[in-house]
Amino acid sequence: MNLEFFSDGPALVIEGEHRLLIVADLHFGIEADLAAHGLHFKSRSTDRLERLLKIIDAADPDMLVLLGDIKHSIPSLSRQEYYELPKILETIRSRIPIKVFPGNHDIGIERYLLDSELQAKDGSILDGIGYLHGHMYPSPKLAGHLMVLGHHHPLLLLKDEVGCAIQTPVYLRAGLDLNGLGMSVSQKNSLSCRALLIPAFNEISGYDIFQIFKKPFSPVSRFMKKEESEIILADGTYLGPFMSLQSDETD
Amino acid sequence: MGHISAPLCRCSLMKPIEYLDPKVQLCIKKRGFSELSDAQNQAIPLILKGNNIVLIAPTGTGKTESAMFPVFNALMSMPAGGGIKALYITPLRSLNRDILARMQWWCGELGLSVGVRHGDTPMGERRKQALSPPDLLITTPETFQALFMGKRLRQHLAQVRFVIIDEIHELAGSKRGAQLSVALERLHVYAGDFQRIGLSATVGNPDDIGRYLCGPRQFSVVQVPVAKHLDIIVRFVGDNFQKQTEILSESLDREGSTLVFVNTRVTAEALGHALYDRGDVEVHHGSLSKEVRIDAEERFKRGEIRTLICTSSMELGIDIGRVDHVIQFGSPREVARLVQRVGRAGHQLNAVSRGTIFATGFDDFLESLVIARKAKANEIEKVVPHRNAADVLANQIAAIAVEYGEIELSKIREILNRTTIFTNCGMLLEEVCRQMEEHRLIRSEGSRIVTTARARRYLSGNLSMIHDERKVPVFDMVSRRTVGSLDESFVVGWVHTGAVFITKGQLWRVIQIAEGKLTVEPAKKALGELPSWEGEQIPVPFSVAREVGRMRRRRNISEYTSEQAGIVFSEKFLSEMDANRSVIPTDHLITLENTEDGVVCNVCAGHKTNEALGRVLSILISARYGTTVGLELDAYRMLLRLPSSIRAADVRDFLLSLDPSHMPGILRLALKRTGLFKWKLVQIAKKFGAIDPDADYEKISILRLLEYFDGTVVQQEAYRELLSGYMDIDSAAAIVRKVIGGEIRVALAPLSMIGAGGLFSSRDQIPPPTADQAVLATLKRRLDSDDVLLVCMNCRNWKSRTVVSRVPDFPKCPKCGARLIAALKPYEDELYPVIRKPRKTQADHAIEQRLLKNANIVLSSGKKAVIALSARGVGPENASRILATLTDGDAFYREIMKAERRFIQTHQYWS
Repeated sequence: MNLEFFSDGPALVIEGEHRLLIVADLHFGIEADLAAHGLHFKSRSTDRLERLLKIIDAADPDMLVLLGDIKHSIPSLSRQEYYELPKILETIRSRIPIKVFPGNHDIGIERYLLDSELQAKDGSILDGIGYLHGHMYPSPKLAGHLMVLGHHHPLLLLKDEVGCAIQTPVYLRAGLDLNGLGMSVSQKNSLSCRALLIPAFNEISGYDIFQIFKKPFSPVSRFMKKEESEIILADGTYLGPFMSLQSDETD
Repeated sequence: MGHISAPLCRCSLMKPIEYLDPKVQLCIKKRGFSELSDAQNQAIPLILKGNNIVLIAPTGTGKTESAMFPVFNALMSMPAGGGIKALYITPLRSLNRDILARMQWWCGELGLSVGVRHGDTPMGERRKQALSPPDLLITTPETFQALFMGKRLRQHLAQVRFVIIDEIHELAGSKRGAQLSVALERLHVYAGDFQRIGLSATVGNPDDIGRYLCGPRQFSVVQVPVAKHLDIIVRFVGDNFQKQTEILSESLDREGSTLVFVNTRVTAEALGHALYDRGDVEVHHGSLSKEVRIDAEERFKRGEIRTLICTSSMELGIDIGRVDHVIQFGSPREVARLVQRVGRAGHQLNAVSRGTIFATGFDDFLESLVIARKAKANEIEKVVPHRNAADVLANQIAAIAVEYGEIELSKIREILNRTTIFTNCGMLLEEVCRQMEEHRLIRSEGSRIVTTARARRYLSGNLSMIHDERKVPVFDMVSRRTVGSLDESFVVGWVHTGAVFITKGQLWRVIQIAEGKLTVEPAKKALGELPSWEGEQIPVPFSVAREVGRMRRRRNISEYTSEQAGIVFSEKFLSEMDANRSVIPTDHLITLENTEDGVVCNVCAGHKTNEALGRVLSILISARYGTTVGLELDAYRMLLRLPSSIRAADVRDFLLSLDPSHMPGILRLALKRTGLFKWKLVQIAKKFGAIDPDADYEKISILRLLEYFDGTVVQQEAYRELLSGYMDIDSAAAIVRKVIGGEIRVALAPLSMIGAGGLFSSRDQIPPPTADQAVLATLKRRLDSDDVLLVCMNCRNWKSRTVVSRVPDFPKCPKCGARLIAALKPYEDELYPVIRKPRKTQADHAIEQRLLKNANIVLSSGKKAVIALSARGVGPENASRILATLTDGDAFYREIMKAERRFIQTHQYWS
């Protein structure tokens, strides 16, 4: 298994037998929700889609794995999504086969997907690796595999000596408390059963990783082990163990 | 202008008062004015002639009456009813109330109707005004905006013949004023030409105020010189607060009614507290409720209390009765402010205003002397209107779109071209419209601008260009209670984790900013003057700071004053500096001093110039060394917070190699990632309708959202405002040119009393230009604190666990003295027994070889090898590859970063 990082996404290619391009949390249609929260911006769906197509061209994968939250509006389709979503999916599909692991924001998306594209919400195995969106308990089938998930939008505030911060999307590889997750795994496989949290492709979504640990909002994040967590930047730079980062709290 | 029907007698023997309607003359007598003031005598004939006019006179010289007598004259000759005939606009509601009280008497006597309309006006009163408008309407710039929204009110505006703008100097330099200037031309569309009268306190540039008021039209300026009305002395009261209050208290005993002006609310509260027992002192500032303030004003007016301690809240011409004496506590910082404040004393025509500045320290005393001299010489600061402020334009385009429903862009341009400050806006108009469309505030259809469903709601939330501030609660971790609240802009712009600030008279350190809440803990000490949440500090102007520098050089304090206490103190201060062999920074000498926290640059150039210079230096240093530079400054010095490796000599090299022509470009770069810039961006985005006043930023990354504004007119406006309003690049460039030309010398010096004794206001941090530096810093920090196991491969009898940063440059075995030390990762501890085995298996030999290779690398490259070997996935092979690049410093760490990046792309890391 080999990995390639595309920092312009952020997106990730995982190459085993096949070359899979992994993209999480596109949140097409987020602008309508922003407006409801008092932030008024034109739809950036076209820019976002073009960014995705460029990465597809650059990565030249066999398949695109979309880790959920392709759309944004809950509990149903917004007007914006009704108009935009079918075209967006068709544009992607015309380039490359897709697999979709629906997320909590994807209610109603089935009608725009082919049966072969739609994957189980609690995840399944592709090419030896477990994939899921991450809002539900992972299927027991994933036990013993690396689990790749979206949903958490990890962001990191990087601070330098004087304390000035830059906010940047990151990957978080975490050890898991498998018992807590209700997964039984043999000793041999327990080490490889880690979670890899993928940053959101959507350019304005994000949760600070300290907050993800402090106030976990998914089954997987509740059972992640801080001490066994490591941070990787969007361009594949190994930043180090989570515990080596300075937290604001301990200043 | 034919609408003035009163006959004008050109006979020069007639006194100006005789031009007025007999009824008005009668009222003047009735009111007890025996004769008119200078200001009135000069202004009345000009206004009667129909001239636009700017009347500049000290407070209390009957400015309002000067303007209103001829206006009454004209109003009386017009048919009753039919619309608003005169608008009287003031910057404050409290001033409105005050003016109303005065106008009601006159209008009552003359049979005219008068009304007030502003935010506090009840609905019933508003309805009445819409049905039967008063002849004279007193209002604020913001409520004036609202008048255009109602159909009926718009009709009433068609009758306006006079617009009087009071305290125009308060408005002309602000965005509120820029907005008002467009509104006046929108009024022109309904009312045609009307007469414009601006009433102003003394300013350095009356003609600019006239152009601001009148656009391309003709106008006259009447100026009553202020200097002869002022009697200002500077007293040195020392830096002990107790002593200061004693002197103040004695002074209050001697004088009659006194206004004590202070620069911050905290000082106001502290003085009020200290003098509370006297029983004749009240405090008056903006944070107190309206009732408390009005009560204090009334009691002062009635003579029940003798002293009012106040902030700039009392600067404007609210009538509080007789004031015998004004005390300015601490330097007034600006000449205009001093003149305005002292002008509150002697509230009678032609009376002399007496004022005393209480100076509290070395800088403060010298600065006060300079400002007092300038006041007497009439050297007042200029008021500079904002030109082509894009957010004001957006606000007014939205207002016009709502007003007309839809309108040709060319019509909007016609309105703008009648102003002075937007007349050359060019393509900015189109750009602003495009940006507003982006946020769905307007639509354009061909050459027309069309209002949207959002626009009206936007407008009712954005009538004002004053930024409405959300309050962020401040939560004390230790006592677990909320201790107060801060302005949102203060939080976004200034406060960062670890920052120390003052609120409620106490010091606090920021622990966390999250979820709309600021978590703090009590702090014990902090360096110097702290950002207090009072809003922005009043900047000391360039020319004042330069003159203070000249005074330090010439040591001619006695030429400015005969105040012995101050002269003695200052001379002692300077001779102590001499005795310490300190170098005294002056207008011809910049000194750079090393401190524990960084480098103090003593530059006598004022806040805005130091801001520009300090930021330019910071960004250059941060770019070169890849570290964030903290910047704190006042009018005479800046502290650059730097890592200990960067010293004064390095800062001097930066200063000497500055190219003044590059400074604006450098500053733009420097600003982009600062808190200040982001705060401005948010404020401006709000005026473009992108962000609602009550927007909820919690769900998204606001920092990344702001990147949407890259290259837009919103970003340009943030730059324009910061570079023109917050800093003075031209003066900074002038200083640098003088440094290059040798006119200003730069000297290195040990920390002096001037450098250390200064008061800093914590301002902003200048981050390095790329994120790369923060990543490298994180990497270095991690590697430094990584555990490492040192094992002697020679005697094989020593192993030690430590952290990388403690490893010596060339580690040596304490047992055998050999330098053949392997640097292992902590989990490789299990390999140590293997190499000590007397009999080794095939596999053991492989391990031994590996460790020997490791030790050989450490032998040849020392600590660098230890650092490389502690990186993730870096074994001896990778380490020698990294070391073979022969790189140092950042480049060396970048090689490590590359190796780690390769490692995590492989199967090994993931399984």
